[in-house]
Amino acid sequence: MSAQSPGFVPEGSAVSLPPTFVNDDERIRSWLLTTDHKRVGILFFVTTALMMALGGAFALVLRIEHLTPDRTIVDALAYNRLFTMHGVVMVFLFMIPAIPGSFGNFLVPIMIGAKDVAFPRLNLVSFYFYFVGAVVVLIAMQAGGLDTGWTFYTPYSVQSPSAVVPTLIGLFIVGWSSILTGLNFIVTIHTMRAKGLGWMRMPLFVWSIYGTSIIQVLATPVLGLAVALVAIDHGLDWGLFDPARGGDPVLFQHLFWFYSHPAVYIMILPAMGIVSEVVCTFCRKNPLSYRAIAYSSMGIAFVGFLTWGHHMFVAGLSTFDAGAFGVLSMLVGIFSAIKVFTWVGTMYRGSIAFNTPLLYVFTFLFLFVFGGMTGIAVATTSLDVHWHDTYFVVAHFHFIMVGGTLTAYFAGLHYWFPKVTGRLYSERWGLLAAALVSAGFFVTFFPQFLLGNAGMPRRYYDYPPEYQTLHVVSTVGSWVLASGMIITVGYLLWALKSGKRAGKNPWHSASYEWLTRSPPPPHNFDDTPVFATDPYDYTETGRLSHE
Amino acid sequence: MRAISERATLLTLLALLGLTALSFALSYVHLGALNIPVAIAIAAVKATLVVTVFMELAVEKFTVKVSLIMGFVFAALLIGLMVADVVTRADAPLLPPPPS
Amino acid sequence: MSDAKATHLEHFQDLEQQAHAARLGIWIFLASELLLFAGLFALYGAYRAHYPAAFGWGVDHNVRALGTLNTAILICSSYSVAKSVHMLRRGRPRFAAGLVAFTLACGCAFLVIKGVEYATHFREGVFPGGHGSFFLGQPQGLKVFYTLYFLMTGLHGIHVVVGMGLLVWLLSRILRGQLAVPHTHPLDIGAVYWHLIDVVWIFLWPIFYLTPGTF
Repeated sequence: MSAQSPGFVPEGSAVSLPPTFVNDDERIRSWLLTTDHKRVGILFFVTTALMMALGGAFALVLRIEHLTPDRTIVDALAYNRLFTMHGVVMVFLFMIPAIPGSFGNFLVPIMIGAKDVAFPRLNLVSFYFYFVGAVVVLIAMQAGGLDTGWTFYTPYSVQSPSAVVPTLIGLFIVGWSSILTGLNFIVTIHTMRAKGLGWMRMPLFVWSIYGTSIIQVLATPVLGLAVALVAIDHGLDWGLFDPARGGDPVLFQHLFWFYSHPAVYIMILPAMGIVSEVVCTFCRKNPLSYRAIAYSSMGIAFVGFLTWGHHMFVAGLSTFDAGAFGVLSMLVGIFSAIKVFTWVGTMYRGSIAFNTPLLYVFTFLFLFVFGGMTGIAVATTSLDVHWHDTYFVVAHFHFIMVGGTLTAYFAGLHYWFPKVTGRLYSERWGLLAAALVSAGFFVTFFPQFLLGNAGMPRRYYDYPPEYQTLHVVSTVGSWVLASGMIITVGYLLWALKSGKRAGKNPWHSASYEWLTRSPPPPHNFDDTPVFATDPYDYTETGRLSHE
Repeated sequence: MRAISERATLLTLLALLGLTALSFALSYVHLGALNIPVAIAIAAVKATLVVTVFMELAVEKFTVKVSLIMGFVFAALLIGLMVADVVTRADAPLLPPPPS
Repeated sequence: MSDAKATHLEHFQDLEQQAHAARLGIWIFLASELLLFAGLFALYGAYRAHYPAAFGWGVDHNVRALGTLNTAILICSSYSVAKSVHMLRRGRPRFAAGLVAFTLACGCAFLVIKGVEYATHFREGVFPGGHGSFFLGQPQGLKVFYTLYFLMTGLHGIHVVVGMGLLVWLLSRILRGQLAVPHTHPLDIGAVYWHLIDVVWIFLWPIFYLTPGTF
């Protein structure tokens, strides 16, 4: 196994370094009022990462609770609040905003040769909507949080005495961030590409952000409506979903899932974009089919809207709707399959460098396929009747969201770490952490498929003793997973201060962001960029221009 | 961008007011089950006029047109499948039957 | 003498790119607004399928003439703001300003009429959420009808107020000479938002005023 040795600039060079986006004005004010997309990206990165840590802490407590069938460390009411807050924080405060807000913001303008996004001030506003909304949610949490599950199903969410209304207000505010970020990216990609850079020559990560942005713009308003209606019903007693007043709770679920199913594609599409970039760079190969990846991103964005009812098979949907959604849900797997085949085909006969980003991508491929196939399984109405609201579904979506998105997030984190910070991390620690994360994840969540299939319901505080063994295995896995992530934070923070300096292009990648300095200058490029070659051109001529 | 003429704008105003009057008149005619679809259809024509002429979508770039069309497509999807659910539930009562 | 910006913001290459970006941006925003209202229209459709008779009765009970008057007012206001855009592009900012002012007046008239309608409902004991003396002994569907009525017209009303705020701001910029040829696209943006309000009402009007069905 060999890792590619990256190029680096010797420490203590006599060269006085030109300004970067980091050291060009270091006052706090300039960061908090920045309109530089790279700084906005860092702001998003730090806050979303903190949210991930918080959501992860909740998860660890939940898993400890499940070590024994009865009370282990928390009581039932606290447990209900913990799993709800775990979901709310992870979905709305981390998974949805993290990759678009951090990686998207930082990279998209650079990847298309623009100075910034189309609406830089709106970008900052987007960040503050997210930040303020997150603070409101945290305040609500401090007031006891809520216990409705992150899905806020009526009628309970309208009746629950917990902090439903403030949490929903916070989420409503966060939703604005999502819509405005999506809007900004769509306009940026359409109107600010460098001269001569056509759609079919953009890095594939940009395509994935484009598809994600379309979903954000069109789906989030419906969530805003859904949570606003619950908050109004709760606070003003309007009973729109109250059966005693003629309301139909299933209609809330329609509105909620119309957003929340496409939302999972907001979570996975950018991750897939990262995978495309890492695969090509570390296999030193152009994609098997650029169009397959680009168009399948759009396919996922579109078809993802057609499938929401599969969350409602046992909720009281009509047979007609259940049938329609069952069939439509199968379709969306086609595009994911196209991507997986394309990535694997790209790797075939590539020149593979076993750096940390690619190790995470290997993990991604295995876990995402696993998770995706179980997704097709639960999309089958007759099977879902058995698995709905069991740990089988919990395992399915964690395989995709953690095994898929989080793993790709880690891949991207390592891949672009040198570009953003100008430093290199230690590959040895990276390998160790990747191994712990991969193994830890599998040990945590694979048993949950078995638990769910054996009948263990989700969101249950206690369980019959027969299920304990698998629960214990799962919890131990969570400790391994957490240790991998904590170690990662450790060595990355160390590298930030003391890592070897990276040059422009330590990975010898052909993609456009590696044409500029690490860290990049304030306006992204020192000279107006002319992207003469394809971003995946690893032929002799292409390589020479990127060395 | 090509321009929409002021004449076209004025004619659109007159058409809109005319269609409004038509819709108002038809609302007094008993068309049975057709009343709702007819009213919505006239509304759709009026909306199209506002969007294409007043909002100048007719002369906007293709990308802009597509954004709105996509919005309508997904809006129709949401409304369609949600209403279809209720309409095709086989007469199930909203409230559970009283205990026997 | 106008101090309208002939230059563009720094990150754009030229004013044309900036104007195109602004227009694309507002249309994308409009698509998101469309989905917001679509959710409510979907609720209306689903609940009307549940309670056709009650909804029909509720529609009939609204004052058709007032709803129609409001429709005509908004259509005229759409025309006036569209014309103001033309006038500003033709280099006649004062005419444009007058038309924007007329649009604002229409918006006020619309809100006044809506206020009158709401007041009538409140006097009858009709409040959202099935609260109010009116609902005693009435079918369930009527509660849902009025809750949706207040929600949908209320959300629309909020958008009217926001739209008016936007137009007031744009009017002040025109009067101060900041919006003039070649920098006229901000008024396009505001006008497009105003037209959205008109379009939404074009659909609210039939479903709340014109379709009593059979009951």
